[in-house]
Amino acid sequence: MNVEKILKQDRRALARAITLVESQNPEHYPQAFALLDALLPHAKRAVRIGISGAPGVGKSTFIEVFGLWLIAQNKSLAVLTVDPSSTQSQGSVLGDKTRMQNLSADKRAFIRPSPSSGKLGGVTFATREALLVCEAAGFDVVIIETVGVGQSEITVASMVDTFVLLVQPGGGDELQGAKKGILELVDIIVVNKADGDLKKLANQSASQYLRSVKVPILKASALHNQGIQEVWQAIEKHRDNLKQTGAFPEKIKQQNKQWFLEALTENFLKKLKADLKNNAEVDNYLSAIDSCEISVAHAAFLACNRLGKIFLSRGRERLN
Amino acid sequence: MTTWKDWESKASSETKKRTLSSLSKVSLEGIEVKPLYTEKDLQKYSGQLLQLPGFYPFVRGPRATMYANRPWTIRQYAGFGSAKASNHFYHECLKAGQHGLSVAFDLPTHRGYDSDNPRVTGDVGKAGVAIDSVLDMKVLFEQIPLDKVSVSMTMNGAVLPILASFIVAAEESGVTQGQLSGTIQNDILKEFMVRNTYIYPPLASMRIVADIIEYIAKEMPKFNSISISGYHIHEAGADLALELGLTLADGLEYVRTALKRNLKIDDFAPNLSFFFATGMNFYMEIAKLRAARLLWAQLMQSFSPKNEQSLMLRTHCQTSGWSLTAQDPHNNIIRTTIEAMASVFGGTQSLHTNSFDEALALPTPFSAKIARNTQLILQHETGIPNVIDPWAGSYFMENLTYQLAEKAQVILDRVEELGGMTKAIMQGIPKLWIEESAARRQAMIDGGEEVIVGVNIYISKEQAHVDVLDIDNEQVCREQIARLKELRATRDEEKTQKTLADLLQGATSGGNLLSLSIAAMRARASLGEVSAVLEKVFGRYQAEVSTVSGIYRSAYSNDAELDDFSREVDRFAEKAGRRPRIMIVKLGQDGHDRGAKVVATAFADLGFDVDVAPLFLTPAEAARQAIENDVHAIGVSTLAAGHKTLVPELMKNLKELGGEDIVVIVGGVIPIKDYEFLTAHGVAEIFGPGTRIIESAKKVLAAILKKL
Repeated sequence: MNVEKILKQDRRALARAITLVESQNPEHYPQAFALLDALLPHAKRAVRIGISGAPGVGKSTFIEVFGLWLIAQNKSLAVLTVDPSSTQSQGSVLGDKTRMQNLSADKRAFIRPSPSSGKLGGVTFATREALLVCEAAGFDVVIIETVGVGQSEITVASMVDTFVLLVQPGGGDELQGAKKGILELVDIIVVNKADGDLKKLANQSASQYLRSVKVPILKASALHNQGIQEVWQAIEKHRDNLKQTGAFPEKIKQQNKQWFLEALTENFLKKLKADLKNNAEVDNYLSAIDSCEISVAHAAFLACNRLGKIFLSRGRERLN
Repeated sequence: MTTWKDWESKASSETKKRTLSSLSKVSLEGIEVKPLYTEKDLQKYSGQLLQLPGFYPFVRGPRATMYANRPWTIRQYAGFGSAKASNHFYHECLKAGQHGLSVAFDLPTHRGYDSDNPRVTGDVGKAGVAIDSVLDMKVLFEQIPLDKVSVSMTMNGAVLPILASFIVAAEESGVTQGQLSGTIQNDILKEFMVRNTYIYPPLASMRIVADIIEYIAKEMPKFNSISISGYHIHEAGADLALELGLTLADGLEYVRTALKRNLKIDDFAPNLSFFFATGMNFYMEIAKLRAARLLWAQLMQSFSPKNEQSLMLRTHCQTSGWSLTAQDPHNNIIRTTIEAMASVFGGTQSLHTNSFDEALALPTPFSAKIARNTQLILQHETGIPNVIDPWAGSYFMENLTYQLAEKAQVILDRVEELGGMTKAIMQGIPKLWIEESAARRQAMIDGGEEVIVGVNIYISKEQAHVDVLDIDNEQVCREQIARLKELRATRDEEKTQKTLADLLQGATSGGNLLSLSIAAMRARASLGEVSAVLEKVFGRYQAEVSTVSGIYRSAYSNDAELDDFSREVDRFAEKAGRRPRIMIVKLGQDGHDRGAKVVATAFADLGFDVDVAPLFLTPAEAARQAIENDVHAIGVSTLAAGHKTLVPELMKNLKELGGEDIVVIVGGVIPIKDYEFLTAHGVAEIFGPGTRIIESAKKVLAAILKKL
């Protein structure tokens, strides 16, 4: 991998690097890790923005208009989007660029859609790594777009500086329906589609939300290019606040910790799954289950204890 | 007297092991088509069967005498290259027995670009004639008496400058607008659903439609202000109930739009016409036209017109282009004949028959002649036109007519629930219904459940030799650019700019846009200039592309083949560390995206990661997106003959960006003789119409593996 080219934002090298860090073939790992380590010293923290919202709220249109505005302010921009992979065929349809036509046609923006590939929570297994690649490439702003389905807010909030939730005018139910825990993660709420017939409703919604949450609430119309600058100002203010209160380093520390623990668990799970494939012990338990000798819950508990010991001792042997 | 029971026992003895019920087939529309119909099948409809042609609800035809008095109008859709070449071709057609003209425009014209716009280089003159101004329009109709020959124009996006320049060209040849007869398609709603040759967003587009209906109602009594088109919906893969329901829902929306302008129903309803496709499902197609007239009459009755003409559905039909195959292309002559018969039995007012080579390229004079003669033979040799609505009273046909009408009514109701067609379209819902239907049908064909001779059975080994027409795109470009220069050099610039300023003013504040466009075109503004002025106010619309998923997989019947291939894809994914990733792209101004959509959803169902690129990309933009998304392969879908310029351009751009290892495949309407050209430019695989998708997926995977 050509680090120099990535640092210069060469599109081919950048795109290839993301593919490499996303690869799920263990044979690619050494190369991917070497690349990440090499990029790490160059990765200056970008303005990381998470943007979420229910389907149909106008996320893509908002990001398109917001992104074009950023570019007009001479800021370089990367957008990472995630599309769900089918659980049946494992394939996916990635259509984000069709929803951000002008932004994707602009050479100053880099948009990379990725399939979720079996990872739940609106991100991929390697969204953070892709973020790091983008930061090494020197993008000023990196946006992570995700569909708001509860779990995804938690995951995305754990990797960005500012988490923006888009809602529709009259979408009070959405907010009330959203779990309390998720609202606590939101840094800014934007009532999108505040235009035309919906303008009045948007005003009502905004003042209604103001009563129920403590974060800034803004109105915007991506369609008519209104309220966009204000969103950026709110994001900057949020970051300034974090910095002035000294909360920013702590936030980054916490995010690194979560990143590491998640990656560690992920690694364990992968190894475990490989070990469990064609395992004679597992088959024994399964036949016991099939012949109704033991309940599933009980069998799993016993198997976990037993196999855990075997795997650990095997691991120790390997270490020795 | 024999009874039903007698028949059952006799029939059972003939079918032996098969049960009688297995002889019934459920159509794509969800209608059970039985092997035998009797009087009993009409009981439910008994009150509605004593009808006569020319009377409400016009099931048996809008006219009392139909073809017995005057046969349908033979109206062949044509246009290619330059205005001069098309004019020459029109003269030939009229001499050879054609009755009316039907103009095909090229894609840049549809999308409101002048021929010298750098975005559209590859598309000029390719799939139709290039028209940039009144000067071109005058050449197109030179020596054609527009007060006698009716002209149909397939134009929706750039409808204002085109209709305006037609009116001005006629006026300058001494024919007033009131004398003009013909049709402007002007059906923008279906563009948002299927054909994608729109320019402005839905609401602005509907204003333009209303302006045109209003103007024609006042000034052009012999001209149809709109041709509400099911054709493209059908061709995009909708079943016939869906085609019918959506088309009538479109019609209803136009009626309401015009009524909001304070027009009276009788001012414009007689000038609304329809346009349907006729495919290979013979009986169902006949029933479709009968059901269409029934439903429309009922719908229009609710607006209490006084003029009976307002209740009549009059339609043009065209045989299905989708039903034509690249394999054994001569079979298409037979398909077209059968489809033409269905249109005629259904009671169409005019008809276009396709040329057999249209799955390969634009028609040649030879193939166009056979297509035209198909209709002449039907009119003069068969006796078919002598009897009005000959299928009436058939147990089966009457039953089918009413059943299909009921199915279409369900679609109409669903659209109403969504708030009418404009709103339904803005939510992108009808598009998904059509795509679902298309993906299901493709899976049935790929799985061999639906049979196409020469495609999935009786596949012939030798390739038939067919001469195809090739457009010298560069020559057309040169001619067009020269005439644009002439236009700009000879016009009164101040006057032109004044009319354009008036148009801008009208677009912002109100005022009839057709009337203002006529003034601009008369002052020698170009089509691109008029479109650009309107774009300033309305914006250029970008469709949100959404795709269905899971339909192909669930409708595909050959599980073993599917599982085998899925395993192969899984093995690839393990090795590559990710799924095979392909970007499906349409290049240039061609918006026919059925093929691209079906391929995209099917490939995703087969385990690929599929990037769907935005429509109307230039090759350079497509190359960049492929690089950024780091795809293994690019699948270019092309139907509009632009491949010879657009594909090499794509390859060049890929190379410049360091993406020469990306596999490029091309699918669509491509003449065999161009295969070598494309391969020489590095294209890995070429897939013509009728390719089984799973087959193409296997080849794509193999091509990717070779380069990995």
